[in-house]
Amino acid sequence: MSIERKFQIAAYVLFIAVIFAAPVFGDEFWLNRISKYLVYGMLGVAIALTWGYAGILNLGQGLFFGLGAYMLAMSLKLSSPTSLQQGSDKPVPDFMLWNAEPGAPTQLCCINKGSFLWLPFQSQSVGLVLGIVLPVVIAGALGMLVFRKRISGVFVSIITLALVLLVRLIMVDAQPVTNGFNGLTDLGWLTIGGIEFDPYSRATYYLCAVCLSLTLIGARLIVETRAGMILQAIRDDQVRARYLGFDVSLYQVFFFVISAGIAGVAGMLYVIVAEFASPTFMDLSFSVTMVVWAAVGGRSSLLGACIGAILINMIEAEVSETEALVEAWKAIIGLIFVLVVLFMPRGLGGLAHDVLRQFIRRLRPGSVSSSLQQQSGAL
Amino acid sequence: MSAIALTIDGLSVDFGGFRAVNNVSITVFDGELRVLLGANGAGKTTLMDLVSGKTHSTQGKVFVYDTEITNWPEHRIARAGIGRKFQVPSVFRDLTVRQNLEVANCRNPSVLANLRFGFSRAEARRVDDVLALIGLEAEHNMMAAYLSHGQTQWLELGMLIVQDPKVVLLDEPTAGMTQAETRKTAEIINNLKGRHTILVVEHDMGFVREIAERITVLHLGEVLAEGSVEDIERNPKVREAYLGTKGIS
Repeated sequence: MSIERKFQIAAYVLFIAVIFAAPVFGDEFWLNRISKYLVYGMLGVAIALTWGYAGILNLGQGLFFGLGAYMLAMSLKLSSPTSLQQGSDKPVPDFMLWNAEPGAPTQLCCINKGSFLWLPFQSQSVGLVLGIVLPVVIAGALGMLVFRKRISGVFVSIITLALVLLVRLIMVDAQPVTNGFNGLTDLGWLTIGGIEFDPYSRATYYLCAVCLSLTLIGARLIVETRAGMILQAIRDDQVRARYLGFDVSLYQVFFFVISAGIAGVAGMLYVIVAEFASPTFMDLSFSVTMVVWAAVGGRSSLLGACIGAILINMIEAEVSETEALVEAWKAIIGLIFVLVVLFMPRGLGGLAHDVLRQFIRRLRPGSVSSSLQQQSGAL
Repeated sequence: MSAIALTIDGLSVDFGGFRAVNNVSITVFDGELRVLLGANGAGKTTLMDLVSGKTHSTQGKVFVYDTEITNWPEHRIARAGIGRKFQVPSVFRDLTVRQNLEVANCRNPSVLANLRFGFSRAEARRVDDVLALIGLEAEHNMMAAYLSHGQTQWLELGMLIVQDPKVVLLDEPTAGMTQAETRKTAEIINNLKGRHTILVVEHDMGFVREIAERITVLHLGEVLAEGSVEDIERNPKVREAYLGTKGIS
C-alpha cells in the first residue's frame, strides 16, 4: 500500500472519529446545528460523485433533496401531536382543516381533492421508504431520458435546473396538499424501534453521523470498483468508452441514481433535524450553493466536498452572527468562493493532495515520484 | 483463403444530397491487413464511421463474420468484435496508463458485473504484456494526459490490443509521428498481423509499404482500385486520381 493511500485512509478515519467525538464538545443546540451541517456534507458527497467522478454537473440536486424531505415530512406531520385535528381516529393536518370548504368531511381521505394522497403516509415507514425510492425513481427516469439521448455537459445542467424549478412551482401551486409556500411545519418525531429521534438529542446527531459515515465509505468504495474506474473513463472520453463496448448511458444513470438516493436520504435527515420541509429546498440558490460547497472542498474528492460543505456552513454561521459582519457575510462567502476558484481550482481536497505529495517527497528524497504521477487528487 | 472477417456490401451514406461514400463493397479476410488509401475527402474516415456505428448508413450492409451489424449502436458493434482507433488519439486523460488498459480489459460491459474490486492475476498479466508490447512499462503509473503524442497513440493501440477485437480499424495511426515513432508503430501493428483482422487508413507511403499486404484505394467515395502494393503503384487510374503524374515518391 502506498504512503498516499495510507494517508487517504487516515483522513477518512480521522474525519469519522471527529464527527463521532463532537457531542463531547457542545450542548444540544450546537449539536442540532452540526447535525444540519453533516446533512449538507452528504449533499457535498452526492455532488462530488456526479460532478467530479461522472462529469455531470447537476444544478438541480435540490429536487432529490426536497422530494426526500417532503416524503418523510408528510409522515411526520401525521404523527405530530399538536398540528392535527384531534379526537378522530384519522387525524387531518391543520392546514387542510383551515382551508377546508364548509361542510367538507374532516377525513384524510376526502377533506379536499388531493388529500387522499396522504393516506399511505399514516405509516412512518412509508415516508421513510418513499423518501429514498421517489428520488431514485425520478432520477432513473430522468437519467434514462437525458443520457440515452446523449445529452451532456451544460445541457444536463440546464435540464436539471429547469426541472427543479418546475417541481418547486408544482409544490407551491398544490397548496391544498402541500401547504404551498409555507411548507410542512410542526412535525412529530421519527420513531424507529422504540427510539424517538428528538432533534435536539444525541440520538439524532448520531443518526446523522452514521448516515454520513456510511455515505462517505460507501461512495468511496463504489468509485474504487471497476465500475467506478469505467465511470471516470467515461467522464474523460465518452466516445472512447463507447467504442470499447460500454453502454455509457447505463453507467451515467447508475451513478446519477446513487447520487439522487444520497440526496433523498439527506433530505429526510434534514427534516428530522430541522423539523420542517419547505419549497425553499428546491430553490435554485440552494442547488447552486451545494455546487459551491463541492467546488470549495474539491469536486474530485468525496471527503473534500463533504468537508467543504461543513466548513462553509460553519464559517457562514460564524460570520453571519458576528455583529460587525451581519451585512457583509454573503459578500465574504462569495469572496471565499472566488478566491478558491482562482487559486485552488481543485479545492481543499486538491490542496491537501499537493501538500501531502510535497511532504512525501521530502520524507523520501530518493524516490522521485514526480508530480506527473497519479494527479487525480482522489483523496 | 480463410473465412471473411469483414464484409462491406454496397455501403452508401448521403449527407443531404452529398454522397460521401457511394456503393462501396470491400471484403477483408480473416487475419488480413488491409490498407485504405485515398486523398483527403475520399471517404476513408467516413467509411470507418459507417462500419463502427458512428454514422448511420443510408444503404448497404456490414457484417462481422456472419453477424450483420449495420447501424447498430456503437457499443454493441464494439462488443460484436470491432475495435477502433481514432485519428485524433483519444485516451482517458485523467486515468493512469495502467488504468486505461484496465478499463479496456473489463470483459463484461454491464454496470453490475463491474461492481467489484481489482483484477485477477491473469488479467493483470495481460495488462503487463500489453504494456511491454507498446513500450510504456516505465510510464504505467503516469497520468495519460502527460504522455507525448506518440505515446498516446501507442496507449490507444494498447487499449485496442487488450480489448482484443476480431477486426481492428486504425485511422491514421502514424499521424504526427516522428520517423522513429512511425517505425515503432509499424512494429506494433506488424505484431498484430495474423491475430487480428486489420483495416488501416494511412497516407504515409513508406509506412504503407512496411505493413501492407493489400490496398484498397478510395476516390470521391468510391472504390477505385484494389490490389497489392506493386499493383497499386503501377495502376494508371490511381496515379492519375490520387498520386498525380509524378507517381509515388
